[in-house]
Amino acid sequence: MSAGLRATVRATVTEADTAQAMGSGDVPVLGTPRLLALAEAACCAAVAPHLALGLTSVGTSAALEHRQASPLGAEIVVEAELTEVDGGRLVFGFIARVADTSDDIVIGAGTLERVVVNRTRFLARAAAPASRPA
Amino acid sequence: MAEVRAEMVANVWQVVASEGDSVAEGDTLVILESMKMEIPVLVEDPGTLTKLAVAEGDVVQEGDLIAVIE
Repeated sequence: MSAGLRATVRATVTEADTAQAMGSGDVPVLGTPRLLALAEAACCAAVAPHLALGLTSVGTSAALEHRQASPLGAEIVVEAELTEVDGGRLVFGFIARVADTSDDIVIGAGTLERVVVNRTRFLARAAAPASRPA
Repeated sequence: MAEVRAEMVANVWQVVASEGDSVAEGDTLVILESMKMEIPVLVEDPGTLTKLAVAEGDVVQEGDLIAVIE
């Protein structure tokens, strides 16, 4: 796996995507957590075809700017690109834009990090945090 | 004598070796967990594991002693 892998996800802002619905605010426009989820989905899509069987990636860090509100019904496109590979650590840049317009209207942008893990072992660790101090 | 120290802040996920074990280069002493990843701590200097300073569930800081091999 090397830098340069890309993927795009597209979404329409529905009631369920609003800050009001997600509990992250009280206005009926695209919620920031939903934007982050779309960006993470794009990152996953960029690398998933290149991961060996049994491996997956999980999010570890996010820096996100949400620059512009998107009303109900808005169509948005989020593109992620793998920019750095450091062992199992993956760094992505993403940019979210209004879809289907010749104007370059940026809704949000940021940097996300994920790590590659063995799915089974990861879930086993996640399920057994009992020995861990609070 | 070789001291094995943590290279990062981490949780001790699994302790694989036991005090008194003869360990060879490449053997796993403990498995740390940091940023959702498993990070095995491997033996670099073969010998006898005379001290194991961590237990499962411990949190280690960068530089903390994990084990002593003589």
